[in-house]
Amino acid sequence: MAIDGLIILDNTGRAIAQSGFHSFPPAYPLLHIDALNSALASSPRQIDVDPVIYVQGLKLDSPSACCHVRRGELRYLCPVSGDVDPLYAFAFLQTFVDILHEYFGHLSAETLKDNFDIVYQLLEETLDSGGHPLTTSPNALRDIVLPPTLLHKVLSVAGVSGLASTSANSHPFASPIPWRKVGVRYNNNEIFFDVVETLEAIVNKNGQPAVSTVWGRVDSNCKLSGTPDLLLTFSNAQSLVDCSLHPCVRLQRWARDKVLSFVPPDGKFKLMDYRFAPATASAISQTSVPFTLRTGITVDERGGSIDLTLSSRLTTRTMENVYVELYLGEGATGANCLASHNASWTFNPRTQTLVWELKAVVPSANYTFRGSFTSTAENPRPSRAFRIRFEIPQHNFSAMRIEQLKLTGEVYKPYKGMRGTSFGNVEWRW
Amino acid sequence: MAMRAAPRKGENFELAADLNSEYKEKRKDAIKRVIANMTVQKDVSGLFPDVLKNMQTDDLEQKKLVYLYLMNYAKTQPELVILAVNTFVKDTDDPNPLVRALAIRTMGCLRAEKIIDYLCDPLQKCLKDDNPYVRKTAALCVAKLYDLKPELVNENGFLDQLRDMIADSNPMVVANTVAALSDIHAAAVASGAPKDTFAINTEIVNKLLVALNECSEWGRVAILNALSRYTAEDAGESEHICERVVPQFQHANASVVLTAIKVIMIHMRGITSENLTKTLIRKMAPPLVTLLSNPPEVQWVALRNINLLLQKRPDILTNEMRVFFCKYNDPLYVKVEKLDIMVRLANEHNVDPLLSELKEYAQEVDVDFVRRSIKVIGQTAIKIDEAAERCVNVLLELIGTRVSYVVQEAVVVMKDVFRKYPSTYEGVIPTLCANLDELDEPEAKASLIWIIGEYAKKIDNADELLGIFVDTFTEESYPVQLQTLTAVVKLYLQKPESSQALVQKVLNTATKDCDSPDVRDRAYIYWRLLSTDPGAAKAVVLAVRPPITLPRTTVSPALLEELLGEIPLLASVYHKPAETFVGRGRISADSVQRKATDDRLATQKALQTVAAGQQAENLLDFSDDVPNEGQPSGLAATTVLASTPAAANLLAGTSSNPLDDLVSIFGGANLGASSTPASSNPMGGFGFGASPLTPAPAITPVMSPQPPAQPQAQSGQDDLLGLF
Repeated sequence: MAIDGLIILDNTGRAIAQSGFHSFPPAYPLLHIDALNSALASSPRQIDVDPVIYVQGLKLDSPSACCHVRRGELRYLCPVSGDVDPLYAFAFLQTFVDILHEYFGHLSAETLKDNFDIVYQLLEETLDSGGHPLTTSPNALRDIVLPPTLLHKVLSVAGVSGLASTSANSHPFASPIPWRKVGVRYNNNEIFFDVVETLEAIVNKNGQPAVSTVWGRVDSNCKLSGTPDLLLTFSNAQSLVDCSLHPCVRLQRWARDKVLSFVPPDGKFKLMDYRFAPATASAISQTSVPFTLRTGITVDERGGSIDLTLSSRLTTRTMENVYVELYLGEGATGANCLASHNASWTFNPRTQTLVWELKAVVPSANYTFRGSFTSTAENPRPSRAFRIRFEIPQHNFSAMRIEQLKLTGEVYKPYKGMRGTSFGNVEWRW
Repeated sequence: MAMRAAPRKGENFELAADLNSEYKEKRKDAIKRVIANMTVQKDVSGLFPDVLKNMQTDDLEQKKLVYLYLMNYAKTQPELVILAVNTFVKDTDDPNPLVRALAIRTMGCLRAEKIIDYLCDPLQKCLKDDNPYVRKTAALCVAKLYDLKPELVNENGFLDQLRDMIADSNPMVVANTVAALSDIHAAAVASGAPKDTFAINTEIVNKLLVALNECSEWGRVAILNALSRYTAEDAGESEHICERVVPQFQHANASVVLTAIKVIMIHMRGITSENLTKTLIRKMAPPLVTLLSNPPEVQWVALRNINLLLQKRPDILTNEMRVFFCKYNDPLYVKVEKLDIMVRLANEHNVDPLLSELKEYAQEVDVDFVRRSIKVIGQTAIKIDEAAERCVNVLLELIGTRVSYVVQEAVVVMKDVFRKYPSTYEGVIPTLCANLDELDEPEAKASLIWIIGEYAKKIDNADELLGIFVDTFTEESYPVQLQTLTAVVKLYLQKPESSQALVQKVLNTATKDCDSPDVRDRAYIYWRLLSTDPGAAKAVVLAVRPPITLPRTTVSPALLEELLGEIPLLASVYHKPAETFVGRGRISADSVQRKATDDRLATQKALQTVAAGQQAENLLDFSDDVPNEGQPSGLAATTVLASTPAAANLLAGTSSNPLDDLVSIFGGANLGASSTPASSNPMGGFGFGASPLTPAPAITPVMSPQPPAQPQAQSGQDDLLGLF
């Protein structure tokens, strides 16, 4: 049970890089690229194309499927033949995209083309020609495939690249812990935790949330020497449910005591995902949406008018980068609006979307937005809900705190830092 | 890249010169350019000897690039690769473990016959290497060797070595060994090897369970898959396995989570304790919900599997309905699955929030989604008796919006509500009839005509209404014609005095001017029935029909068990057994052998071939039709439906002569193809598929004969038929 390979396409559907496909006919990857491109071309909305598409093989009895994802401007394809787990393919694609991010930062067709030698080395190291993922932990990969650093470039221009590569490969995979390399040394031992929470909510016409869920993620950046064994206690671990944890976390211990006991990888990694479920009396525990939106929309023939008032429910914090979006329906041609507090608005005629953009929403102030739109449709049908995105820096819906960080196995005392950010993604029906 | 403009020959000539340069840097740069050309499909095979010269180097990066080049051309130029063998063999003795691993890995995937023979000795050595990275690479290499030349693996005793390596101290080595052995096992089964190449016993299971917690996510998947193949000796062992696997539910990798669920589903069968089973099921819900915070493609796979799990264990997510509420910017494939799951979770306690959600969806912009939402309202009405009235009210509100496709879909759904609750909501009939002019889709028309015919007695102007359709009879589509015919006959039987002329007219038109054999034949049947014995006609045509029900599962119980064992494989995502869409794949051969019915294999292969030829598109891309076909959009038609008996036999594997059956199935399928080309309608010509995209066929409840003894099992089988 394995995947067949990996193909990266640019935004015009041309292949930038692909793995070997040694045990397949040369046309095999091309068939998959073709199948995807034609599926995309024939679908009215690209995002509605099924994530697993069928690909007819060259011979009648060898059909296969193509799992594909879009990340940024690139598409990543994973052909599979035989009865394979599609999640396996998706998980691998995601892992590979993460690795590319780690190596190159922002991903574009240009970056990958410029660094094609590294991309190919990464493909070779992460995916065996038999389709088994090999080394995907960034810590171990850095040992065997050198990231493109400025120093490296300088050295290679100066003609001494041999030096740089041999020194890094002294003892690969000697570590007993697969995700952590040995012999890490830092002058300042510190570890940072970034708690990012996202509120996903749908609010009904009456202002009551139909569903509101807080998904959280703890990213960590670990700069600790040696092999530290950490014990991390959160203040409200009981209300973190549905967790998924980095492989370094001892699962049994979390299940028993709700504490995270782990030997961290070196550098950046995602420690855990969770859902925040506040312990309340009611069965359905919901987090309230931190703002209210009063909507008045009238739709007439070939147009309509919009009247919105947004106010924050927060008492101290400021919501930042608030975007209120409305799809005005097929045929919408333009809008003319007025926003209070110098907020800006735009209408994108290509996507027929009206966006009201507020840099900051402070507590106890009403922000208003009035305007009208025109449409070529006799009866314009704007979407039934506004999409609102916002962020609240220095804030967590769950009010999660680190209670304690204990370190064993090493003698130093680490510095620990924690930062929280909250995002919101709310659908508000009118 | 200044050379790009030059003719290819010139560029290769330049490269050859650089590859032979005395300066190291120049050579390395040239190799990079060669690879760059290779990746954009330029032919650089002519440089083979020059590139090969650069293979012996201390620079690992350069070595990798040369190896990359060799792998690319090994298949087309095997005689040249042989020149590289010595360097490969030498590299497997290199002090740097990375070089050793790289060499053995590359040799494994060169796939050149000639080089294989040189592979065995170094492989032997690398399997015993003291560096775990080399060992694990070597383990995977054995699987590749088996793929090319199984006899070499047997001769060198590599299999036994691999089995020993399951006890390796390094979990990564264990995981990769398991992956290699599983691959070999699958290949051996596919080629018909008699004995189990990777027999798993208690001892191995214990080793696997130890390694499980310490290896990488991919290793965990391999180990979990191996565990799912194991048959526990007693309930105690099943419990032990489940306990050790359950913590994997919290792994960050979705694939690990679903594979762990599969293991639990399989080994739960062996657990006798009722309490433990309940606990396990309860623990299954949270990880499934977590998967829904992932990107849409992962959500989709998760949702498909949740759908399947719910059919087996309807109790796992009862309190989690809200997570399945749709956002309007969800991709359609996610929304459709969510709708399906919401119906499964619906009960009298959560039906109110569900209905208000569905009402929202029914007013959205996306036509396809709106139609499905309205269908779901109907399914809810049929599933929950207490909520039926509320559902009907929602439907009436929707009809009030007067949006054409909303009204039409609502009418279709109302027809099914009437079929479930006969003579209950007659009050809404006037509203429905008021929208007669709005209807332009055959399915909606046919539905309304059915309602009029069924309640002709209570509709004062029924003859007038039906008269409209009789006047345009020949212009209507066949489903509407059939329905009109039946409705007029029903009207006549209930109100003979006022509709004598109408019935004459319709029978005349249908027998003389209609070119569909179905319509014509049925007209003759009615005609003779009416003229021979009106009493009997009444008994036949107006007979009480059993109310429809919502099928609890979309697949047969046996298939469900099989699919649950294949979570999270493609099979379970498509809700089809693997062999219907994977050709001679390893797994498919495996599962077919498990069934050990050669007959069935033959028929299925034939089916595939014919289907592939017939349906110019494809077998796998069910896309929108998937959720529909298992659950024929007549909402619940399956259970009261007469299936093509031959098809049922065929799929149940009981058929005596597969070819006959094939002929009969495709007789039916052809019929369907002619009227509804794109429909994945399970019944071929009969109109239950009714996917909203296709020009929908008619409802047939009144016209399909219903032998009461029709085996219920068939409801599951039509899932397979959906392939056509």
